Amino acid sequence: MSVRAIAARTGELLRAADARGLNAVLHWSEAHLEFEAARLEGQGPGPLAGMPIAIKDNIATLDLPTTCGSRILEGYVSPFEATAVRRLREAGALIAAKTNLDEFAMGSSTEHSAFGRVLHPMDPTRVPGGSSGGSGALVGAGVVPAALGSETGGSVRQPASFCGVVGVKPSYGRVSRYGLVAFGSSLDCISVFGQTVQDASRVLATISGHDPLDATSLARPPMAVAAPRADLRGLRIGLPREYFPADLDAGVRAGMERTIAVMRDLGATIVDVSLPHTQYAVPTYYIIAPAEASANLARYDGVRFGPTRPEGLPDVGALYRTTRGRGFGPEVRRRILIGTYVLSAGYYEAYYGKAQRMRARIADDFRQAFAAGVDLLFTPTTPTTAFKAGEKTEDPVQMYLADIFVCSVSLAGLPGLSIPVGRSEGLPVGGQLIAPYGEDERMLEVAGTLEGRLDATAEVR
Amino acid sequence: MRIGRDDVLKIARLAELAVDEADLPKLVEQLDGIVAYVAQLDAVPAEGDIAPFVPGPESVAWRADEVRPQSLALPPGAMAPAFRNGFFVVPRRTGMDEA
Repeated sequence: MSVRAIAARTGELLRAADARGLNAVLHWSEAHLEFEAARLEGQGPGPLAGMPIAIKDNIATLDLPTTCGSRILEGYVSPFEATAVRRLREAGALIAAKTNLDEFAMGSSTEHSAFGRVLHPMDPTRVPGGSSGGSGALVGAGVVPAALGSETGGSVRQPASFCGVVGVKPSYGRVSRYGLVAFGSSLDCISVFGQTVQDASRVLATISGHDPLDATSLARPPMAVAAPRADLRGLRIGLPREYFPADLDAGVRAGMERTIAVMRDLGATIVDVSLPHTQYAVPTYYIIAPAEASANLARYDGVRFGPTRPEGLPDVGALYRTTRGRGFGPEVRRRILIGTYVLSAGYYEAYYGKAQRMRARIADDFRQAFAAGVDLLFTPTTPTTAFKAGEKTEDPVQMYLADIFVCSVSLAGLPGLSIPVGRSEGLPVGGQLIAPYGEDERMLEVAGTLEGRLDATAEVR
Repeated sequence: MRIGRDDVLKIARLAELAVDEADLPKLVEQLDGIVAYVAQLDAVPAEGDIAPFVPGPESVAWRADEVRPQSLALPPGAMAPAFRNGFFVVPRRTGMDEA
C-alpha cells in the first residue's frame, strides 16, 4: 500500500471516528495527512514505513498545535518538536493526529479536557481511562495501530486496560522527555499504545535511546524490537498479594486467574510476593505529583504563554491570577492548590518530606522483590473495568484510586505494561507486567508470548 | 489538619490563581478531602533515615558550557500574548502589596 493510500485510509477512519462522536482527536486535517504523505514519499522507507501514529496533545509537534487539552494553550504551536516525534518521522511514521487528554495529563478518565470528554470506543456511556484517553480510544477503535501517550502515574497503562489495547510505560529515562510538556518531572515518561505488543515494541525501539537534550535520559542504546519467547520456562513471575485484595472486581480476578494459568502452562514458576507499602502509593503520588505540577505550571502566566489578555488589568499580579484562574480547568486548579499547599512553609516536611521517604520505601519494596529472584511481577492493571462517565468526577479521591495498581510503578521509575487478557461483561480486562529497572525488553518478550496464547476478546467468566 | 476557606484563599494567592467566590465552598470541601486522604502517611512509623529515591541515571552527564544556536521554528513572540522589541510585554507593576 502506498503512503498516499495509507494517508487516505487514515483520513477515512479519522472522519468516521469524528462522526461517531468519539472526541479522541483534537487536531487533524486532510491537508496535514497529504503533507505527511508527500514528506514520506520524498524521504524513502524506514523501520516504521507508512505506519500511522497519533500523538497525545501534550507532546510538542511543529505542524500541529500542542494544547495539552487546556484553554490556556488553545491555538499554541510549539516552536520545537519532541525528540520522540522527530525520531518517528525519521523512521518513516506518518503523524496522523493529536489526541485529546485530561488537561495537562491530570486525570484518570479523560473527562477533564477543556475540549470535551472522550468516549470509550466500545461503550459511549463509559470512560476510556486517562489521562491519555484520546490515544487509547483511537487505538482501541482501530483508527491507528499505535499512538504516543504520556505517563506520570499510569496514564497509558490504565486507559490501555480500559480500551483493550497494549500500553507500555518504559523505564524512566529510556525515552527522552524533550518536548513532553512537563507535569511531574521526576515521574513523566512518554509511553506507547499499540494494537499489538509488536506494534508497541516497534515504536519503542524507534523513540528510545539517549538524547543529549534531556538531562535525565539514560546513556543506553535504543531498545531492540522484542520477539516473543517460545515459552516461559525458567522465568519466575511474582504475584504481589497487595494487588489481589478480597474486594477485587470478580471479572478482573477471573482475567488474572486465566492469565496465571496460561503462564503456568507455558512453564513459568508462579510465586507469591509482598510489596508492603503498596497502600501508600496513591497518597504518596498525590503529594509528589501535584507538588511538581505546581512548580512546572507556574510558567503559564499570561506573559510567555496564554490567551489574549482581558482589558483593564491593573498590574502584572492581576494578569497572572486572571489568566491562570480563567485558563486552567477545575482539576488542574485543584492540583496546583494542593501542590502549593504541601510545599508551603510549615507543611513541607509534614507532607512532601514524608512522601519523598515513602517513595523511597515503595521503590525499595520492588528492589527487594526482584533481588529475591523474581524476574517479573504480574498484577491487574486496574481494580475494575471501564467505569461510567460522571461516576467519579465529583469525588477527586475516588478518581485517584482508579490508579491504585499503576502509580506505584511510576513512583519507582520501573517499566510496566498492560496487555488485554479477556473481557468481563463485554468490557476489556488488562493485566500488568512489571520488570526491574532497565529490563523493558524482558517484559515485552513475555507480553508477546502471552498475547499469542490469550484470546483477548473472550469472556473470562 | 483541616482545610478551611481562609486556607484555600491563602494558597490561591501563593499560587497566583484567581478563585471565583461561587466555586469556593466546593473547592474547600474537595481540598479538605484530598488533604485528609494523603495525611494517612502520618500513620506510618518513622523507620530511621532513608536515602531519597531518584529515578533514572545515577548521575547527570555534564556537557560543555557553551552557547548553542536555538533551533526554533517560530520566534518567542509568536507564542506570547504581547511581545515588542524583543521583550514580553506586561502591565506595569503597581500596588505591590496587593499581589
